Amino acid sequence: MFRIAAIRAIEALIALLLMSIVIFLLSRVTGDPVALLLGDGATEADKIKLTQDLGLDQPIIAQYLTFLSNALAGDFGRSVTAGNQPALHLIMARLPASLSLAGVALAFTMVVGILFGVIAAVRHNSIIDFAARLIALIGQSVPSFWLGIVLMYVFAVQLGWLPTSGYGQWQHYVLPAATLGLFTLAAITRLVRSSMLEALGSEYIKLARVKGLSERVVIWKHALVNSLIPVVTFMGTFFAVMITGAVIVETVFSWPGIGRLAYESILARDFPVVQAVVLVITSLFIIANLLVDILYVVIDPRMRSRG
Amino acid sequence: MTKLMNRDVHRTAVSLLAGVALTLAPNMPAWAQADDLIIALSTFSEETMTPWSGSGQRKTYLDVVYEYLTYAEPGTLRTMPGLAESWEMSPDGKEWTFHLRPGVQFSGGYGEMTSADVAYSIERLIRDDSRAGPSSPMRRLISSVETPDDYTVVVKLNFPDFELARGYFGAAQQLGIVSKKHFDALGEADAETTPIGTGAYELGSISPGSEIVMTMRDDVADHWRVQPEFENIVFKVVPEESTRVAMLLTGEADIAPIGFDSIPTVREAGLTVVSAEATWSPVVRFGGLVETSENRYNADNPWAKREVRQALNYAVDKQLIIDELFHGEATVASSDTPVPAWSGVQPYPYDPERARELLKEAGYEDGFDITIKTFTTAPGAELPLMAEAVALFWQDIGVNATIEPVDWPSLRSDWTEGRANDYVWTHRGFPFSSAANGLEAGFMAASVFAAYSTPELETMINDFSNEQDLAEREAKFTAIGQHLRDEAAAVFIALANEPYGISDKVGEWKITTAYMWNFDQVTRAE
Repeated sequence: MFRIAAIRAIEALIALLLMSIVIFLLSRVTGDPVALLLGDGATEADKIKLTQDLGLDQPIIAQYLTFLSNALAGDFGRSVTAGNQPALHLIMARLPASLSLAGVALAFTMVVGILFGVIAAVRHNSIIDFAARLIALIGQSVPSFWLGIVLMYVFAVQLGWLPTSGYGQWQHYVLPAATLGLFTLAAITRLVRSSMLEALGSEYIKLARVKGLSERVVIWKHALVNSLIPVVTFMGTFFAVMITGAVIVETVFSWPGIGRLAYESILARDFPVVQAVVLVITSLFIIANLLVDILYVVIDPRMRSRG
Repeated sequence: MTKLMNRDVHRTAVSLLAGVALTLAPNMPAWAQADDLIIALSTFSEETMTPWSGSGQRKTYLDVVYEYLTYAEPGTLRTMPGLAESWEMSPDGKEWTFHLRPGVQFSGGYGEMTSADVAYSIERLIRDDSRAGPSSPMRRLISSVETPDDYTVVVKLNFPDFELARGYFGAAQQLGIVSKKHFDALGEADAETTPIGTGAYELGSISPGSEIVMTMRDDVADHWRVQPEFENIVFKVVPEESTRVAMLLTGEADIAPIGFDSIPTVREAGLTVVSAEATWSPVVRFGGLVETSENRYNADNPWAKREVRQALNYAVDKQLIIDELFHGEATVASSDTPVPAWSGVQPYPYDPERARELLKEAGYEDGFDITIKTFTTAPGAELPLMAEAVALFWQDIGVNATIEPVDWPSLRSDWTEGRANDYVWTHRGFPFSSAANGLEAGFMAASVFAAYSTPELETMINDFSNEQDLAEREAKFTAIGQHLRDEAAAVFIALANEPYGISDKVGEWKITTAYMWNFDQVTRAE
């Protein structure tokens, strides 16, 4: 167990290092923030001075090494646009919004996805099964920006049940979480359905029924619990999709998360913030997968014996 | 057995749905902010709180806190007293004296505004590390700021500026007056997060990336300029235009900039649309036309010839573009920026025959290939469609355009680095706060944002800038506008309005081309 955790930690550090190089180089491919920061009437001399002030006159290797050494000391630089604030400070101010939205969306998809998956499997080849599969198909096909706007017009503009956008109250979570979660909901539904079908046809379920256990216990305890192992495996990926896929949802619903911060920072060529936000997202991805690995060992006794 | 399974499934599903229904049962919406004025903006820009720490886009929320030495009178655009009651200019235009309004109080208990505050505000705005849009030309312009007494500020200039009061020092620019005492007491880092001005509002709260709440000052009854009617003004950042429209329809926003396509929707919902007239100008700019620059001129481009540029102007039916893309909310332009003094300059009419003749005269009767780069911005979501329309009109005279979508930061970087020399691009012009400032920024080779400049034009601009006689100045300025039109410095398309949707809660909101940030003067509907 300890050995696995140590290997995972080393892999995580390598991934972070590689990601820092990739994002550092990619963010510089399409220009720098100098042109955006220069005001009307700025001269060539102003441009040169600003370039020097931002340290962008240094060779790119030197810029990267400076960034890396500062990052190792916990300093990800200061935003070149947002009043010279520390990049990490900007991200931390937005992170709760992103994590809470991803958490709500993940919880929503887990509950509804498992329910749909079980219903579809139990009533195999019925209209309900067909409907669940249709929802799964739609969820994976509909673009989130379109879905978000449609949900907004139905539930906020027409019905007036929910706010159109914003952040702060529980009602604000419903539409963005539903929009964000539908893609994952579709995946979970399909996953649970196929796992449940396999479990319901297995020998141990037949044995449980022969022993006279109630259908409720057979389905929700014996069949479902074993069917959830593949779902747990994918949870890390789902969570990462919720964080990274939230850029569009955050824009449509004016959600002040790190997805929108990343997007706005890319447009502003705010290198320190872009670098920091990508590394934070990468870290979240790695941590989520690490937790899943541990959870997998906890819920599956076979993994413990292998470990 | 199956029945039992079905019952369980049904029971679970019904319980879940009932829970959702109860949760969503309509009652008084908790998100409604009925007493506040809610303004949905497309961006907060840098989301910083001092005049010098970012672009002028932040004026939308900062201008209810900070005030200016002068204001423009709505309608006439005449320069009106602001924090300065009066001012004088020396005959050579190199020394300005401002007499401050006595008794104006800063919020937060920071006392009366004096010349020390004005001097600090000017000096801080032009400091090297200032991020304010006009900081660079102001730094070159201003030689010193003196404060002979508490209510007098003398500004000495390195060269003449005959429009300082309404230009760089006016409300359309970024010289908001801050409290020096506030910065002395808290230090710059802390003071920057708690804006203190003489305006009727002070900062209530900030939710990063979401909303900024400005709260009416306790002592607002004594305010010298405005008597606001809303206790709080809530600025929300809503980047998606369709979301802003939805907010207007549900009453979650009271004022929001909207796109031209959304005007019918907003009107059909019984809401009002107010347009700031001619606030921006969609154009097609030519690359490589800064003649006196070493790296921003390309004589090999077909459009280096005036006849070709004129042909490209004649070829475009601008009125059709205005009708189709801008829903009539624009007028055909004769320049690349809305300037009242140039209103007499006649635009190029739509005349494809004349365009073909001019191409022939220039030796391009068989046409040529051209690349149009385009991007979206706010305002300016229509620019890519405009590029397509222009390309179709040009195709009609034999000019084959390839449209290349880009993002604005990349293009702006190309432009300032001298890499935008072999293509044209859609762009937008904005009103000048003063004629001299606008000409310097747009048409003098010293400016990295010049897109067209010739020795002849620079001489004309210098003559204008040094002219002391007001009538002569006006004539020279108009002549520059005519010259830019005749030389076809760009493909001038339209002077476009900027539409805002207004909710029923709002009584009156007067906006003009010169100033659109007077949210503290919005009245409540009866």
